[in-house]
Amino acid sequence: MSEALLDIAGLRVTFAGGTAAVRGTAIAVNRGETHCLVGESGCGKSVSALAVMNLLARGASRSADRLRFAGEDLLSLSDTGMARLRGNRMAMIFQEPMTSLNPAYTVGSQMTEVHRRHKGSSRQVATDRAAEMLARVGITAPGMRLGQFPHQLSGGLRQRVMIAMALMCDPELLIADEPTTALDVTVQAQILRLLAGLQRDLGLAVLLITHDLGIVARVADRVSVMYAGEVVESARTNDLFARPQHPYTRGLLDCVPVPGKIRPGEPLGSIPGVVPRVRAGFQGCGFRDRCAFAMPECAAEVPRHAAGEAHDYLCRLAADWSGLRGAA
Amino acid sequence: MSATPAIEVKSARRTFRTSGGLFGTAREVVAVDDVSLAVPAGSVLGIVGESGCGKSTLARLILGLLPTTAGEVLVDGQRLDGMDRRFRAELIQPVFQDPFASLNPRRRIGDIVALPLVAQGKFAGAEIGRKVAEMLERVGLASDMAGRLPAELSGGQRQRVAIARALILRPRIVVCDEPTSALDVSVQAQILNLLAELRREFNLTYLFISHNLAVVEHVATEVAVMYLGRIVEQAPTAELFHAPRHPYTRALLASVLTPEPGLGVPDVGLGDILPDPANIPPGCRFHPRCPVAIERCGSVAPPLLAAAHSRVECHLAVAGAA
Repeated sequence: MSEALLDIAGLRVTFAGGTAAVRGTAIAVNRGETHCLVGESGCGKSVSALAVMNLLARGASRSADRLRFAGEDLLSLSDTGMARLRGNRMAMIFQEPMTSLNPAYTVGSQMTEVHRRHKGSSRQVATDRAAEMLARVGITAPGMRLGQFPHQLSGGLRQRVMIAMALMCDPELLIADEPTTALDVTVQAQILRLLAGLQRDLGLAVLLITHDLGIVARVADRVSVMYAGEVVESARTNDLFARPQHPYTRGLLDCVPVPGKIRPGEPLGSIPGVVPRVRAGFQGCGFRDRCAFAMPECAAEVPRHAAGEAHDYLCRLAADWSGLRGAA
Repeated sequence: MSATPAIEVKSARRTFRTSGGLFGTAREVVAVDDVSLAVPAGSVLGIVGESGCGKSTLARLILGLLPTTAGEVLVDGQRLDGMDRRFRAELIQPVFQDPFASLNPRRRIGDIVALPLVAQGKFAGAEIGRKVAEMLERVGLASDMAGRLPAELSGGQRQRVAIARALILRPRIVVCDEPTSALDVSVQAQILNLLAELRREFNLTYLFISHNLAVVEHVATEVAVMYLGRIVEQAPTAELFHAPRHPYTRALLASVLTPEPGLGVPDVGLGDILPDPANIPPGCRFHPRCPVAIERCGSVAPPLLAAAHSRVECHLAVAGAA
């Protein structure tokens, strides 16, 4: 296996207030692969992505053992060097397209700006490219849409425009942060289907951030589950759903109502307590306060175990331990 | 089960006037169009549909927070319009989506939960204090929470406060409008389980509005599907999920992404035309997006096909093709 396109190890982000948002995250996104980063609000999944793009808010500090993109070391890259990558070889789309599109400029002028800046293309070439990309994401009458303002588009259309804009310069990596959370279910399915098709056709690497295990199951090749700033489990998608190891992953899977699995009226599985805010200097397992299997030693450093090929998890329990749901 | 439905809506209609902006002409938006339904006491009616389909407006009509433009709403057999507000509060209560917006940030939790009792004006201070403490304990909040402010609570705890406030008067009916949509998955399950326990314990009737079909399938006994202001299909939950008759219901079900790897993202078969409540298409209002529409759908409104426990509005359901 060649080197991962995006290779992150030991990523740490601490905010000025002393909150340790990301605590030693390791993620590897391979070329042509969709990697899902899944977790609940505040677990550090969005912050990890922003740290990769070097878009963290002022006051946040980032460090990492390794942060490489296509063989290039992002940690030592200058701001201009990073700006040359962003929107060009690595692009990002966000949850709420209305807040990431500029309301004062037309779709066309925002889309062409990216291309003219990074590729040095003429207005005409950039406009042709924008129309081509709008058609590529399934927008009919792209010429008309180029002249419209963001508020004239529906939520689903705006997200398609965002995707088209992100793909203007033919990036190798697309980071999508909850791209369908603000959309209706039918539109969500359409957008995800579009993303999956583009990923396949263009050979894109996609890092998809979501809280929705249904989305993970349907689009991901690999999954990393985050909790309290750490990747607590990482595996191929089939493997994660078939043999979840970390007590948090198991608990999370039990929380989701699955038609046919839990009879109506029966209680859902749930995880007691709430997601903790982790301060800098926190030691041990971040899940131990909510874990039914916590022991005193969980307050010390937790080992990362392997559970078969390309499957690891952060817990002192041995692989394929039985518990919560019997032999999993 | 008593013969009087807990909620009965008869041909309810609600329109809004929107300003057309500086130069535009004012338009009329029909948010709820000729909706009739009956919710038997003790059951859970789930209402599903996309944003703008009128499900929240319907909830507000049933809560009496908005008057109907036409038609009427009966709660426990009594007409809502003209009903005394204090009396209404003892019958029906809401739980809203966003526990960050529905709790007064300047009031302490104990005062927020006590307010419905205080507003009734017939309870003594000591009795109010006792009832509040009991209810906070019942929804799973520690007693010291009473002195805290909403900002000190997590989303799940705030939703517990909203539920305690809704139940403090021991109403018969609770309208839950997207009660778990703002919550994390692990907390959503806690709140759904709590709502289910409380329903059994207090013999409540729920109107449960959600865009999450998996959640609705789990909690509802019967489901109504709304599209652009109308109920296009209604049936007992198992029937609706296993044998959907309306093409829109089928599209909604197809778009549910269950956590089953390997299935990929389904093709829901809908075009890119999105529904606009201010511009309702003629004939069947779903026809511009419908994958199986026939010529008649574009001009003739589909008939209502009603059986004892189910109803559907679709031309193809008549022909038996659906």
